[in-house]
Amino acid sequence: MCSSVIVCVHLPRFALVIAAGGREALARGPAALAPEPGREQKVGEVSPAAEAFGVHPGMRMGEALARCATLALIPPDPLGVADAWEKVLVRLESVGAAVESTAPGVAYFDAAALARLHGGGAASDPAAALRARAAGGPPPWLEAVVGAVRTALRLPARIGAGPSRFCALAGASRARSRRAELVDGAAGLAGEPVALLRHRLEVEHLVAPLERLGLATLGQLAALPRATAGERFGRAGELAHDLSRGRDTDLRPREPGETLEELLELPESASGTQLERALVLLVDRLLARPERRGRTLRAVVLGARLVEGGTWRERVVFREATADAARMRLALGQRMLLLPAPAEVLRLAVDRFGPAHAGAHALFDDGSAQRTARLREAIRQARAAAGPEAALRVLEVDPDSRVPERRAVLAPFEL
Amino acid sequence: MTGPRRLNVPLPATVRADARGRPLALDGRAIDAVRESWLVEDRWWTAEPLRRRYWEVVTTRGELVVLFRELDQRGGWYRQR
Repeated sequence: MCSSVIVCVHLPRFALVIAAGGREALARGPAALAPEPGREQKVGEVSPAAEAFGVHPGMRMGEALARCATLALIPPDPLGVADAWEKVLVRLESVGAAVESTAPGVAYFDAAALARLHGGGAASDPAAALRARAAGGPPPWLEAVVGAVRTALRLPARIGAGPSRFCALAGASRARSRRAELVDGAAGLAGEPVALLRHRLEVEHLVAPLERLGLATLGQLAALPRATAGERFGRAGELAHDLSRGRDTDLRPREPGETLEELLELPESASGTQLERALVLLVDRLLARPERRGRTLRAVVLGARLVEGGTWRERVVFREATADAARMRLALGQRMLLLPAPAEVLRLAVDRFGPAHAGAHALFDDGSAQRTARLREAIRQARAAAGPEAALRVLEVDPDSRVPERRAVLAPFEL
Repeated sequence: MTGPRRLNVPLPATVRADARGRPLALDGRAIDAVRESWLVEDRWWTAEPLRRRYWEVVTTRGELVVLFRELDQRGGWYRQR
């Protein structure tokens, strides 16, 4: 049986490329992802030209503009990035990989599990595996797995491999050719800059202080006693030290999900009451989807395309899994207040399903469920007899508008 | 029906008006009284500003009708109620 070989698939500057509309846009000059409205004023991913000016991701916007006056700030597109990244993850999963992704642009999976599936004859040749191990090289089947991944991805990805996620990430960040770069533990990491820690959310804030202390490489950090790193930087310091030694936490692959979403194009830029009404409609339509099969929703993603350009995305996890429209509206309505500008498209997608609630009964049956079921059946029969427009509801969209045709819309009656 | 549909969409109307724009007849029927008139200006911050002069009138048949005239280049009379 093969021991774990973690593979990292890295698509550098993924969010920036998507928001800019392609890699060509980054060639025009220094560019960086602008901060999301209402969030901390720090730049996101930066182009190579901006890096040459000393701008790096997470830098305060004022400092970034001071370092590079011609820096183009690209409006972030979290919705587009999430969609594009989901497609990439689905392609990875299509080769059989159980994928973990911490951020758009970086995904990990255990390649050993795919050795027999894609490794061909080499996977079952123990002598070749032993020879490769003795020479410190990658296992013989790894190239075939990487080949399968590249074929599925159809994107210029950098691929690295190693015994842990961080080693694999280090390999991917220095990989240039089509071959996977293997980083086999602390020795392989020693020459890497501490800036590599920026890829890990928990320790990214340590990069600047470590550099100020004169620790430029991971090897220098690994040479310190672990307790010293912990004493100076707390838990984050201990984690950074572990990472520099090639140790990392276990892989936690995601469960491949299904896509269920509803989208509403708003005829005019909407905010306030109009937006609340649109949310009511979206929640009703999402809950009415037959693919839900009676399941409750544990987490949803609320997204919007803004009139001024750019998008907005907010993940909402419910306190308990629910399929109650009123409670969902209450929770989502609070997040809607964070919308930074009027929206032209509003989207609601299921992120995670909860258990089905069909078998549950109310402790004190008040008959409302029966009434709802009867009404639903009546609507179904009316539609069967008179067509889909047989049961409609007048929905007040902007009741205080001075223009009469904007006050209400006719929408399908959903329960 | 796949999505929401607007209610109370304006319908074109044939209106005869005097020189000051006050409606005199609707679809050939004389207007008995003008109850109210108001101006609506909206979406002036967009490329498609909206500018309408509304009239609430009563026809000689006792019908209460809300009319408006587009004040932009397109012009034209509409009824809406």
